[in-house]
Amino acid sequence: MRRPDELVDDVARNLSTRLAGGLTRRSFLGRMGGAMLAVTGGAAVAAAVRPEESEAFHFCGHIWTTGSCPNPMGLPRIDKHGYPLRPGDGRPIDNLGRLVNSNGYAIDASGNRLRGPDGKLLPRAPRTRLCEEWVKERYGHNSHTQGSWYRCCNNQIRKLADCCSPSKKRINGDASLVGYCWGGNRVFCVQYYDSGLSC
Amino acid sequence: MVETFTPAVCGSRQRQWLALVGFAAGAIAASALVGTALGALGAALGAQLALVAAGLALLAAAREAGLVSFPLPQVRRQVPERWRFELPLPVWSVGYGAGLGVGFLTFQPVATFWVACAAAVALANPLAAAVSFAAFGAARALMAAWPRRGHEDATAAVESLVGRRRFLLVANVVVLIACATLLAAPSAGAATSLGPGFDPSARGGVLARARMSSGVSNILLQPSGESAVTIPSGSAPSVDGDLVAYGDSQGVKVVNWRTGARVTQIDGAVAKPALDWPLLAFVRTGSTYKRLIVADYTDPAAPTERWIARAVVMNDLGRPSLVAGRIAWHKLTPGGARIYVQRLATGKRTVVARSDILVLANPSLSSTRVVWMAQSARACSLQTRRFDRRTVKRIYRTTRTTRLLWTTALTGRTVYVTQWSSKTGSSTLVRVNF
Repeated sequence: MRRPDELVDDVARNLSTRLAGGLTRRSFLGRMGGAMLAVTGGAAVAAAVRPEESEAFHFCGHIWTTGSCPNPMGLPRIDKHGYPLRPGDGRPIDNLGRLVNSNGYAIDASGNRLRGPDGKLLPRAPRTRLCEEWVKERYGHNSHTQGSWYRCCNNQIRKLADCCSPSKKRINGDASLVGYCWGGNRVFCVQYYDSGLSC
Repeated sequence: MVETFTPAVCGSRQRQWLALVGFAAGAIAASALVGTALGALGAALGAQLALVAAGLALLAAAREAGLVSFPLPQVRRQVPERWRFELPLPVWSVGYGAGLGVGFLTFQPVATFWVACAAAVALANPLAAAVSFAAFGAARALMAAWPRRGHEDATAAVESLVGRRRFLLVANVVVLIACATLLAAPSAGAATSLGPGFDPSARGGVLARARMSSGVSNILLQPSGESAVTIPSGSAPSVDGDLVAYGDSQGVKVVNWRTGARVTQIDGAVAKPALDWPLLAFVRTGSTYKRLIVADYTDPAAPTERWIARAVVMNDLGRPSLVAGRIAWHKLTPGGARIYVQRLATGKRTVVARSDILVLANPSLSSTRVVWMAQSARACSLQTRRFDRRTVKRIYRTTRTTRLLWTTALTGRTVYVTQWSSKTGSSTLVRVNF
């Protein structure tokens, strides 16, 4: 008897073959990955991501050599919209690396708003997307989150997303590749999103 | 080394010059690289090391004067002779230059090189340190080329130089003492702590700040050469000569700090005053918007107001600066930060700095330039720009969450800035000359 994940794998493969149509596999995966994760609850994607020991180049799941996108805290963890999260626990942070509440105000570990040297509540700091805003300001590229792939990290599905731009050099300084990018873009840096879905 | 760069050793006069050029290039490049690395180290450390370097210079001067004795760190080696036989001329000449240009791979007859290294770290500026050290490399190259000028025998030229060794050692001591003096003196970019306080304002020889005392903010005014004056229960002072505007629980007041007489007051949800009498700027917070207002008290009986800018109430507007017909303020939103400067007479507004990543805030004006604070996750800095130029320069930088920068005040080429700790909330006023 075949393993359940192999059965689901066949289903996913057939589905993807039908839907891909005229698109290339790489660009299809990149475009459909997010939709599949959201719509199916990750079931099909989870089946495609077998539990395995993912090699980590500089964070789990990243097996290539492109460097991290610029970020506040050293690791490019993002939410599903591309905004920065604290790598350790996934809580939202602003561009200064401070925890923030739902309104974007900086808070302490207890949820109390932070105060300045005058005792008054601190104003909101910018909180912008690592790929679309940070890369654009630091490196001058029109960048977009495009291709992505999935790995099982810490028993949950991690989506690794390429930040793609027209630059022929990646953030490391050496030549960039097309990777999973499309529309004339190439991989500039990488970031990741932890879905919380078990694998 | 001078015996190496001869036509006989190199093969011809043309090859001799080729070798000297290679040697010079290697020496200058290597020494500039050392300077860059040391300057970058100083910038990364972020500490004020000028006094440490001054102390080292004095110690070195004492050593060179024979007052103290201690060994110097050095590698007692010469350049590898075999390179001349095994490697092509361009390679060995550049290699010799690089080996000597680095400085610490050969004999150290005096301590001056190590003092220069300490000074480069204290400089904390990779480019300036690179240029300074490149001069060392150029001097190395000069010593390989110069001795043969006017001398048939290059070694005779070197020996005549050695005969002046005593003079050179004395000159070295004098130079080291001069370096120590320069390093110890307050210098551009050096920060001087002025004690507890925040929200500085400086105009006409008067420095004002707010200071917390038992949870209450008071204002301290320090006129040059006079006794300090305290205004209780006030915050965010803005001084203009004998007048000071400040915020309190009722709104904003303008008083004559010498006499205590009240000049005017604005009640309500107003704060962050900036005074350039008869103009008074402040931020009024409504239910939906914050507005930056400039009130004109030319006719005190009938002041007029005009609003300059607004932001939705959840965003941040201010702290304005009002000087010589210009007003500056910041706007902070989750989408980014902007520093604005507007000419009041014409209404012409310029965005002097913008970022979608950094916090840019708390600008202050002089008649020629604007200064503001920039903050990232890893560092804070003071940045400045002249009105007639587009170049932005950094004049001061701090790292660590215990040394964040906040509000600023600019007068001439001196910036006063609040430096505070996010852990404890305590703050210090710092003066930076640039």
